[in-house]
Amino acid sequence: MSKRQSTYYPKEAIDKIKKVLNKSKGMVLDENLLNTVENICQGVESNLKMKKPGTAKLSNNSVKKDESKKLEEQIQEERKIFDNIMTVIGAGLCLLDKDSKVVWANDTLKEWLDLKESPIGNHCSNIYQCDVVGTDKCPAVRVFKGKEGRMIGSWVTTKAKKRMYIQHIAIPMTNKEGVVDNILLLTVDVTESEKLVHRLLLLQQFGEITQGTLHLDKLLHLILTCITADYSFGFNRAMLYLINKELDVLNGKLAIGPSSLEEATQLRTEMASKHNSLRDIIERLDYSHNIDTPLNTMTKLMVYPLSDTSEVVTICAKEKMPIIVKDAAKDTRVTDEFRKALGASEFICVPLIAKNEAIGVIVADNVYTGEPISEDRIDTLTMFVNQAALAIENAETYKRLEDKIDQLTETQQRLIRSEKLAAIGSMSSYVAHEIRNPLVTIGGFAKTLSRFTFTDSKIKTNIDIIIEEVKRLEKILNNITDFGKPSTLEKVDTQICKIMEDTCILMESYFREKHIKLHKKFEANIPQISVDPGQIKQVFLNIIMNAVESMPDGGDLDVIIKSVYKTIEIDIVDTGKSIPQGVLQNIFDPFFTTKPNGTGVGLPVSLKIIEDHGGNIDVKSKHGKGTRMSLTLPIK
Amino acid sequence: MMSILLVEDDKNQRLLYEQELRHEGYEVVTASNGREALEKVQGKLPDIVIMDINMPKMDGIEAMGKILGKNKEIPVIINTAYSNYKDSFMSWAADAYIVKTSDLSELKEKIKEVLVNKNKNS
Repeated sequence: MSKRQSTYYPKEAIDKIKKVLNKSKGMVLDENLLNTVENICQGVESNLKMKKPGTAKLSNNSVKKDESKKLEEQIQEERKIFDNIMTVIGAGLCLLDKDSKVVWANDTLKEWLDLKESPIGNHCSNIYQCDVVGTDKCPAVRVFKGKEGRMIGSWVTTKAKKRMYIQHIAIPMTNKEGVVDNILLLTVDVTESEKLVHRLLLLQQFGEITQGTLHLDKLLHLILTCITADYSFGFNRAMLYLINKELDVLNGKLAIGPSSLEEATQLRTEMASKHNSLRDIIERLDYSHNIDTPLNTMTKLMVYPLSDTSEVVTICAKEKMPIIVKDAAKDTRVTDEFRKALGASEFICVPLIAKNEAIGVIVADNVYTGEPISEDRIDTLTMFVNQAALAIENAETYKRLEDKIDQLTETQQRLIRSEKLAAIGSMSSYVAHEIRNPLVTIGGFAKTLSRFTFTDSKIKTNIDIIIEEVKRLEKILNNITDFGKPSTLEKVDTQICKIMEDTCILMESYFREKHIKLHKKFEANIPQISVDPGQIKQVFLNIIMNAVESMPDGGDLDVIIKSVYKTIEIDIVDTGKSIPQGVLQNIFDPFFTTKPNGTGVGLPVSLKIIEDHGGNIDVKSKHGKGTRMSLTLPIK
Repeated sequence: MMSILLVEDDKNQRLLYEQELRHEGYEVVTASNGREALEKVQGKLPDIVIMDINMPKMDGIEAMGKILGKNKEIPVIINTAYSNYKDSFMSWAADAYIVKTSDLSELKEKIKEVLVNKNKNS
């Protein structure tokens, strides 16, 4: 402690502190700290009052030597008390002179600022690491100029490795002449209030952002990022589970967080240096990032039936209350399986509640830093999660709406197509019949003529040409009239594999002729379904015929039948010429054909038959890789 | 000689069927619509009737009904360009249903078959 310090009486210093504390009541959010300081000040004050008679005597010149010695001791004792107070006051204190050099500092400040050496004699900027030195923003400078001296807070890491948010307040100290010649810099810990303000701000920001996010996957990513971002909640890891009402289970959806401690520290410093607002984080958020982590994969595989009341996450969803697990190994609500999967002994489960109903659960932990989860954090997290739940609910509703619109569009398109088919059907059947009658006459008479013998062989040849051409036209007409026919399905329980088997047998010689190698892969136990076997066979024939025609130089033909969740899937895969992209969208249009002798009704009729059976046809064609026709038929 | 009543509104087609069936050795009487067919039946009953469906004045199905009303024993073959009448229950009364093609062999086969059956039954 410097000599100059001794010129101040504790009473004066305490008065100043009191005054400042009173003034700052409105701005420093930690009332507790204020009260403590106030109490301490009162204590010292009363102490001083008691000693007053003694000190008064000090000014008396006629005091005896031993008496003055006594007084000296008294003063020493008082100073000791004062020093103690300064140490335990719970705020950093520092006395600066006119040149901003440190005259004195208490131990709290040294600890907070993690000072290795005594700061006395140093310039203040060296110990505070501040960048406003000499400017009007410097609180010391402001106070010397008679203004109010306060500095916006800053984050520091204390000697005890604790992150702390501190704020400095400068208090002018006047000497006996009433001139300000020193500055008392009061440093207070406002970490908690800063965190609270920050979280409130975060909630508001989150609200704004989620209002504009209707994409469910993005939203989930966003929510977990908010929980794990150091800037906001700063949990090490977060996992999200959603309730699947149809299956009555809680399903793991997404997990965000590093997979190791190293990654955790790296990520922390990266995030801390890069981002300073939630919007900033969101804007830079890479949704594909962190998706392939072991944690995420594991979480996605987690499924818990809601009826299972022994699992902490389902309990959380059922009771709609946050659950804090302090020691997973001893907590009966946590199963061994869940504990091992998570690997954290302390974690928190918060239910996602929208419109009074649980829609999922979020689990968060600090498995790497081991930082305990405090009560106030749980409150903010719950508030945040409630907002998140509403946003998820919105996104889900939107998704359902989108699905419905898709369905509607598809139905509409199907309707248009079937109307188109019907119109084309009635028109083509009219034309077909009108043409058929004269054709019968032409062909018939040509046949009659062919019975005669002609001297000129050319006549016979020409008649045969007429007969052949008429036959070809009639064949086309037969195809077209199929179109106008209203299809009445004669459904019987049928084994699809059997129909396919029959179709392949029918085409055996054709395959041989075209050098096609057939590979049949029929799954065992394909259930029987109710179909019109004749029509389905027609479809198989059409599609296999197309596949063979796409392989004029031979190739492989795979026919695969399998059951996939309430449907039977029939894949017909060729290695032939693929269907060009521009053609692909037209192949189901009536009378669209790229074949010289095609009528363009094979695929539309096939599609109509499959759709009449409640199924669908999907086509995938890749250049150089052939075509895959996937037919699906429902199992009822 | 077996006699055939051929009911067909298309003049050229009528001529074709007449020629072809005569060539097969049948006696062929023709009518160009349902009403004319009924008139022809008034005289001598034919052994078999071959009838188109879509015709002016009286269509084939109506005419067939009336002919069968007079004599249930006369076999009727429907010979039409439309395949969709096959499902009409009125045409079930016919002994055969043939979709017209330039190849008349199917029709000829059917006539033989129907006549053989008729003779067996009587």
